[in-house]
Amino acid sequence: MAGQKIDQMDLLQGTLHLLVLKALALGPLHGLGVSGRIEQITKGAFVVKPGSLFPALHRMEQAGWLDSSWGESENKRRAKYYRLTRAGRRQLEVETEDWKRISVAITSALKAT
Amino acid sequence: MPFMPRLDSLRRSLFDRERLDRDLAEELDAYLEMLVEAKMAEGLKPVEARRAALIELGGMDQVKERVREVRVGHFLGTVWQDMRYGVRTLIKSPAFTVVAVLSLALGIGANTAIFSVVNGILLRPLPYPEAERIVAVWHTPPQDSFPGMKRFSVSPGNYLDWKEQSRAFEQMAIYGYAGLSLSGGNGDPVPVTGAAVSSDFFSVLRTEAFKGRTFSPDEEQIGRDQVVVLGNGLWRRAFGADPNLVGRTVNLNSRSFTVVGIMPAGFEFPQEAELWVPLAWDAEERQTRAIHDYLVVARLKQDASLAQAQAEMSTISVRLEQQYPEANKGWGAVVIPLHEDLVGDVRLALLMLFSAVGFVLLIACANVANLMLARGANRKKEIALRIALGATRGRIVRQLLCESVLLSVVGGLLGLLLAGWGGQLLVRLSAGSLPNTAEVGVDAWALGFTLLVSLAAGVLAGVAPALQFSKNELAETLKQGTGRSAAGSVRQRTRKALVVCEVAMSLILLIGAGLMIRSFWKLQDVNPGFDVSNTLTLSVGLPSTRYPEPQQQLAFHDRVMEQIRALPGVVSVGSTTTIPLTGGGSKQPFTVEGRPAPPVSEQPLAQTRYVSPDYFSAMGIPLKQGRPFEDRDRDGSPQVVIISEAMARHFWPGEDPVGKRLTASFHEKQGPREIVGVVGDVKSRGLDDEAASTMYLPFRQAPRPWITFVARTASDPEGFIQPLSKAVYAVDSEQALSSVRTMEQVLTESLSGRRFYMTLLMTFAGLALALAAVGVYGVMNYSVMLRRRELGIRIALGARGLDVLRLVLGQGLALTLIGVGVGMAGAYALTRLMASLLYGVTATDFLTYGSVSGVIILVGLLASFLPARRATKVDPMIALRSE
Repeated sequence: MAGQKIDQMDLLQGTLHLLVLKALALGPLHGLGVSGRIEQITKGAFVVKPGSLFPALHRMEQAGWLDSSWGESENKRRAKYYRLTRAGRRQLEVETEDWKRISVAITSALKAT
Repeated sequence: MPFMPRLDSLRRSLFDRERLDRDLAEELDAYLEMLVEAKMAEGLKPVEARRAALIELGGMDQVKERVREVRVGHFLGTVWQDMRYGVRTLIKSPAFTVVAVLSLALGIGANTAIFSVVNGILLRPLPYPEAERIVAVWHTPPQDSFPGMKRFSVSPGNYLDWKEQSRAFEQMAIYGYAGLSLSGGNGDPVPVTGAAVSSDFFSVLRTEAFKGRTFSPDEEQIGRDQVVVLGNGLWRRAFGADPNLVGRTVNLNSRSFTVVGIMPAGFEFPQEAELWVPLAWDAEERQTRAIHDYLVVARLKQDASLAQAQAEMSTISVRLEQQYPEANKGWGAVVIPLHEDLVGDVRLALLMLFSAVGFVLLIACANVANLMLARGANRKKEIALRIALGATRGRIVRQLLCESVLLSVVGGLLGLLLAGWGGQLLVRLSAGSLPNTAEVGVDAWALGFTLLVSLAAGVLAGVAPALQFSKNELAETLKQGTGRSAAGSVRQRTRKALVVCEVAMSLILLIGAGLMIRSFWKLQDVNPGFDVSNTLTLSVGLPSTRYPEPQQQLAFHDRVMEQIRALPGVVSVGSTTTIPLTGGGSKQPFTVEGRPAPPVSEQPLAQTRYVSPDYFSAMGIPLKQGRPFEDRDRDGSPQVVIISEAMARHFWPGEDPVGKRLTASFHEKQGPREIVGVVGDVKSRGLDDEAASTMYLPFRQAPRPWITFVARTASDPEGFIQPLSKAVYAVDSEQALSSVRTMEQVLTESLSGRRFYMTLLMTFAGLALALAAVGVYGVMNYSVMLRRRELGIRIALGARGLDVLRLVLGQGLALTLIGVGVGMAGAYALTRLMASLLYGVTATDFLTYGSVSGVIILVGLLASFLPARRATKVDPMIALRSE
């Protein structure tokens, strides 16, 4: 891995979904807001580029996890906002649980000698 | 995953794409603007901020395309898009489209036509319920008396024992062909192919009468057997589909038979039978074991396997051998599924044709692939543009595959039309050399096959071009104007490889066809043993009802001979029981006087013909030794026989057979016969037949009801058909003629199967050669175009036209030679599979390999000649400037 930042290529699809769900759990955001929030909550480790971000947002919206609507941004610009649906919240819980299990498993695998 | 939102998304992405795309554009614009603002907030100047933001976005159109790809139903929508786009591109280049569609239509049409034949004959079960349980049961003869013969017909005595002792069969039935003349319909008596069958026959086939009934067991008794079941075709043809025919009587061989039933349409077993009568034996016939005249079919029990039935039949055969050693020593039995039994002979030939059309289609695919590759050179910019606009590699591949599949599906539809009459044409051309042709036709299976083949052909033709063009060579295409990029030469390599394959495959087909043609020539050179020209034959079967006594048969024979002899233009006339090239005829065992006589089952057999004195001169069979029959060889005079050279060689090697005596077992009571002459060998089953031992007995000493008159005529024998027929009617106006044919016709018919396979293979090979020539032409033409600049330089530096010509022709020749090399190896491996279809040539016949290679090389040179000549006309100035 080059440097501190993790390139989007290395992001697993599921991981990106989890990060987007987590970012939106705190409230509705537009596209740029989502990538900013992810960068912020991962302390700059993940930078999600638009080429990955928008397909993910649209896919998740089709899956019924997100809902979108047009709103006005902080600098008075018409922007599309995404918010979690109830299904999305459930998905966040499921994926969080999954991630924890995987994380524990991988960590113990790596500790094994 | 929730279902409703997905469905809704699908609806929107399919039907509301424009609004979705507008939304997406707006969303991304907003994103970009916000990003720019954020960059400016970090202190960048507006221009720099926008630049940085655009770089971070990574291409607006690529992002949009990626988002579209995740939409539900995106695949469906874009396939539809690709299709429409494909149709538009294809319409824009009509020449390419027409050539590609036509070559695919030919390839697919030929495949469907052959498939409909293969499916109808080889793959489809026979048209009887649970047909897989129907088997044929044959005798296997002792191998020392019948070397190489695996199936032999069955005698009544053995059949009755089989039927009684076997447990593996639900039913077993026996039948034999019967030539009958039918009157009582409308018009003259007509000869009909019929079968005499035991009463179980129809239940073995599980087929009921369409009207009336089939036979009951008591109709197997002589005296109660005057009943007949008619075939559907005959009922329509001869009786106008009269619904009240059942119960009425018709005349068969001048005896009246009651029609008890009419079979459903399509029931035609045994092959070509149109009428069935009960098979009735008297007490003596039921005991007969040495005369093998009949065929046996049986239906396996539900729980019995073929192996069980075979084992049981073998046990029974061993028992019968011990019980009746005289007749049965060395005779076994074999159980063969009926379908295999019927198609066994044509399977190999049909599979050969099927592989041949497969090759033709592959060549057609390679050609279309080449056309697409060549056309792709002009489409490079279009494709580069699409990649620049965000199309992924997969999308480009799919687009190109879509086009080739469109081509092949349209080709397939056209091919289906071709196959529709092609299949029927095949059946007509086959002239009776294929069994079961009633099942041939374009049905749901053939439709499915065509669809599959079309799709496969489309993918096959499209995959190489698609992979080639979808490589992201954006930078390269933009850098180079038109022309000679590295990718261009990779494509040219692919094209060359395809052409090499085309040449190789057409070589294999041509060699296969060449071998068939050589076999055919060799056969036509074979001396049939008689003089084919100016010979007319006329056959009658005298019904035992009106000619029960040999004396009556003889009287009929003599009067007709007299009538024919009196006709002006008839040079000589004779009679026989079996004419050459139409089959073995009856065989009978014989013993040689002064040699120990083995039991009947081990006695040698000889084909037997009963002939008139002038038969040999009328048929043009040369007398080698002794004398022909004369008028004095008649009933009451010394018994005589004439034998064939093969028989003389085999049984009297190094001796003079004339004057020796033998006993023909069917005429044992008349005592031994003196051999008075030896005549030349005659091909009895076909030109590829080995010379077989043959005995000729004087008709006068043993009259038969089956007579064929043979007239040698001074002029065209066709003109004697009417006079000869009239000669028969003058003697007996009720006598049906079973066939009137010139020996030329007989010869042609005996070759019809071979001619059929040869013609088809030649057609396919010719098609393959033409397609391969187009392929070589195309690739050389393109190669000259690519090398225009180089050729220009060469010419500018003083290369003469001849040098350039040689350069290009050399390249074409090299391609062809590689193809020939590969093809030779393939042909060497494949043609040996068809060895049993050949006559007089080996599968690796040097002459065929050599001449076919010569033809291919010549065609390759011809196909390269036009491009080569074009190369010599390259104007160096224009060529250099054009870059």
